[in-house]
Amino acid sequence: MLAGYGLIGLFFIAVLIFSLALVVIPVVLRYLGIVPARPGGVKQSVFECGMETIGRTWVQFNFRYYYYALVFLALDVLFIFLYPWAMKLRELGAYGLTAAFILVLIVIIGYVYAWKKKALEWK
Amino acid sequence: MNPIIFNLEKLPDWFGVLPEIILLVFAALVIILDLFVSQKKILAAVSLIGIIASGALSLGFWGTELSFFNGLILTDSFAVFFKLLFLGVSFLIVLASEDYVNSFRRLQGEYYALLLLATTGMMLMAGAGDITTVYVSLELTGISLYALTGFLKDRKSTEAALKYLLLGAIASAVLLYGLALIFGITGKTGLGEIARAVQAQLSGSASVSPALFLGLVLLIAGFGFKIASIPFHMWVPDVYEGAPTTVTAFLSVASKAAGFAIIMRVITSVFAAPDWLARDWATVFAVLSVLTMTAANIVAIPQSNIKRMLGYSSIAQAGYLMVGLAALGSSPFPGALAGMSPAQSGVLFFLASYAFTNLGAFTAITIIAQKIGSDEIADYAGMGRRSPLLALALTFCLVSLIGIPPASGFMAKFYIFRAAVQADLLWLVIIAVINSVISAYYYLRVVKVMWLESPPSAEKVPSSALPTVSLAVSCLGVLALGTIPGLIMKLAEMVNQFMP
Repeated sequence: MLAGYGLIGLFFIAVLIFSLALVVIPVVLRYLGIVPARPGGVKQSVFECGMETIGRTWVQFNFRYYYYALVFLALDVLFIFLYPWAMKLRELGAYGLTAAFILVLIVIIGYVYAWKKKALEWK
Repeated sequence: MNPIIFNLEKLPDWFGVLPEIILLVFAALVIILDLFVSQKKILAAVSLIGIIASGALSLGFWGTELSFFNGLILTDSFAVFFKLLFLGVSFLIVLASEDYVNSFRRLQGEYYALLLLATTGMMLMAGAGDITTVYVSLELTGISLYALTGFLKDRKSTEAALKYLLLGAIASAVLLYGLALIFGITGKTGLGEIARAVQAQLSGSASVSPALFLGLVLLIAGFGFKIASIPFHMWVPDVYEGAPTTVTAFLSVASKAAGFAIIMRVITSVFAAPDWLARDWATVFAVLSVLTMTAANIVAIPQSNIKRMLGYSSIAQAGYLMVGLAALGSSPFPGALAGMSPAQSGVLFFLASYAFTNLGAFTAITIIAQKIGSDEIADYAGMGRRSPLLALALTFCLVSLIGIPPASGFMAKFYIFRAAVQADLLWLVIIAVINSVISAYYYLRVVKVMWLESPPSAEKVPSSALPTVSLAVSCLGVLALGTIPGLIMKLAEMVNQFMP
């Protein structure tokens, strides 16, 4: 059984060597004097990390974002369950259709609840 | 290797979870009705109808040995016994909540719906045949209960809910780790398959692989949280005090019973063979039992809040129940673990008796607190004169918790201790009996305060109809189980577990 994990182990070792090399090579090149040290504004800017933030990040967010995220999550989960069903639509037949319908119905009940409880209003 | 599981009667898979489906439909119905109906009393009625319908359907599975969804769900008399227990408890809780729920106006539909969802989760736990079902049903129960705990939305209730959520998440993680280890060792997820794999691996050897043993210990820790055994009890006092009293009753009875159901499904039957493995976990339960009983009984003595006191008392009761689990593991009867052992029927009887007793006590407290607005034991002074029947009912339930004859608590302890003596655990029984004597002190203190101290005011404590009915049913149950225990005991002896 352990041999089965051997490939994964090899992969991990390769990953380790690769990431260490990425860190070590520039340092070694700099140490040998091959690469000149010329720091500048562009070089020290945030690299591939998204936009620079405007203002402080420790502000309070409107808690309605949380409602929306939660309501969206239900839909997300629904889609995850509907995908495999859609792939096997023909084989599953009427039984599958009923099951999927019930699943959608449950989510709809959730949305009716959220709607009536005014979770979808932005005030 | 894996025997194909035949459904004898070729039933469709969803048929096996019909009682749970019915309960879910009614939970959804309660939510929908709550949105469109202004008369909130109807919600309780709908919930009660759902519980009765689900109970009637569950009853139909008595004596069957079927598996559904490729062994994810099992139906056997063991599952039916627990399903009826959970449904009975939630029926009485819905009755008892009537006044209480009216007092919080908002979120009534959610209260009943979450109660039904938690019950559904517990029913699935009782019928789980696979570690995935075990975990999913455990979470369904857990999440519903976290929400119910925070229902009052005041400081204490919110604190209780948050504590319960965080500690519950940790317990879930520990449990998952245990399940993962056991899956890693055996390569199976079905409980029956795991049992066979463990047996095959261990037959002939005299020691268990450390990973399997660690998995087993982590399982006991995870489930120990559910049944609130020491040292996994840290959440109990705060949660019991902060949660709405009816939810506390539900937690202390149904949630604990569900914990024992799942322990008997996952630990005591799956790891039943070989003998020495059973003795290993029996020793763990025996040690936990001693710790739980002794510590909980001693800590309960100085409590001044009755909900906290009953919280520690319920921890102690879990200790007595674990005497039964220890007896189950070291039972001298060959094949006793497949069911039909005196220890298993003893645990089942104890759970039924404890359900009635604790529900009665908590219902009485709910009614009293509704009027006097306090859970302090000192405020119960003279309750015997202010409301004799209510005080009598509470006294009777407390007497049953001590284990004094006319009440069912005596018979429950008798059956479990007898099974333990038969399993050569006399030392454990002696410690348990000493603990029962210690517990008499703090239970009787409440009785003394109620009957011997003079009331601060002569004002009567009124109670409305439905909670009184619930209280009466609980007390009658306690009396019936105490005087004619054979009734339930016959049923409990017939209960056996099916492992495909």
